[in-house]
Amino acid sequence: MGREKNSSSILKLYSLIIFGFACSPVTAHHSGNMFDRERTVELTGTVKEFQWANPHIWIQVLVPDTAGLLEEWSIEGGVPNRLFRAGWRPTSFKPGDEVTILANPMRDGAKAGAFVGARLTDGSTLGRFSN
Amino acid sequence: MQCIRTVAVSMILACTVLLFSRITDAQSSVSVENFPDWSGVWQMIGPTVFDRATVAPADGRAGQHGVREYPPYNVEWEGKYVANIELIRQDRFPDTISTCGTFPGFPRTMNLPGAMEFVVRPEQVWILTEDGPSITRIYTDGRNHPPPDEIWPTYSGESVGEWEGDTLVFKTIGIKGAGDTILDRTGLVLSEQAQITTRLRRVDESTMEARMIIEDPEALTAPWSVNKQYERLPAGSRMFDVACAENNRNPVDEAGRTLTLDAEGNILDMNY
Repeated sequence: MGREKNSSSILKLYSLIIFGFACSPVTAHHSGNMFDRERTVELTGTVKEFQWANPHIWIQVLVPDTAGLLEEWSIEGGVPNRLFRAGWRPTSFKPGDEVTILANPMRDGAKAGAFVGARLTDGSTLGRFSN
Repeated sequence: MQCIRTVAVSMILACTVLLFSRITDAQSSVSVENFPDWSGVWQMIGPTVFDRATVAPADGRAGQHGVREYPPYNVEWEGKYVANIELIRQDRFPDTISTCGTFPGFPRTMNLPGAMEFVVRPEQVWILTEDGPSITRIYTDGRNHPPPDEIWPTYSGESVGEWEGDTLVFKTIGIKGAGDTILDRTGLVLSEQAQITTRLRRVDESTMEARMIIEDPEALTAPWSVNKQYERLPAGSRMFDVACAENNRNPVDEAGRTLTLDAEGNILDMNY
């Protein structure tokens, strides 16, 4: 279920996340200003597809809305080479994985966002993820 | 008789060429060991602000609104830079490499976020970058730059250099300028008249350093000094493709706006 976090403690946490995002490869290729770095959404759903490809990786996630209908979110991450050096692998996400993803959403409300962090099926995390 | 003479001359020529090539190979294989060891995979230290000595605010990152550096631009080029900064504020200044198919260009080659290699050979040094990807060839075989009528603006430019001990000193001219390349995503640009003198050396086991002096009679009022450093990645690190067009889901439209596509290639932007 997608939901937005608003508490001040979370804002403090996300100031670190925003800092990290500013340094992240997502900003290296193109303008990242379509994403609202002041907001972070938490998406819990099922991985539909993981695109491990240049110039940026994408995670397609099916997330149930408030009515239980599935919405497809497109989550953009960094460049594969740098993610690989940070410990990611082409198999980090697999179709069918149940995941929770934190993302800076698009400013205009489109179902897309910039990857911040994720908790995977086995409980491990990638990027900046905190409960 | 004529036939025998022709065959004999041909054999002598062939043997001469073979002998010469072996001597050359032998000289190359021996002499390469006399050059500094720059092997391994390297990565720039710090963010992709080209001139971190003058960036404001001091913790500003390239691409953030309002971040700028202070090269010694003349009035006209300061105006160009300010215009670029304003376009960035409007999200209408895409990175030139977002077109997916062109090199970042020199000297931005020295300011990229991805990994790079410095390949030293007796007659050339190559700087290979993941981003682009790009190759900068620096000829060290004693040649000069080509004459002006044999140079046209290219992304890599024309680089020739020589060794001063363990330091490679090379000069780059013939680069593509504003409109085709940027130095970083604050909107820094140079003209095609720019000449960059770079002193490249390995400072210690894990650090390379490039000290650049940029002269540009069209854009700058004085030489501009910029220093960059690079750290050696762990042994065994590999270089990878950065093939931008492979799955570019952030194309740039004619107005300079970066779009976002879904997995099927449809535009996601709500107000487009």
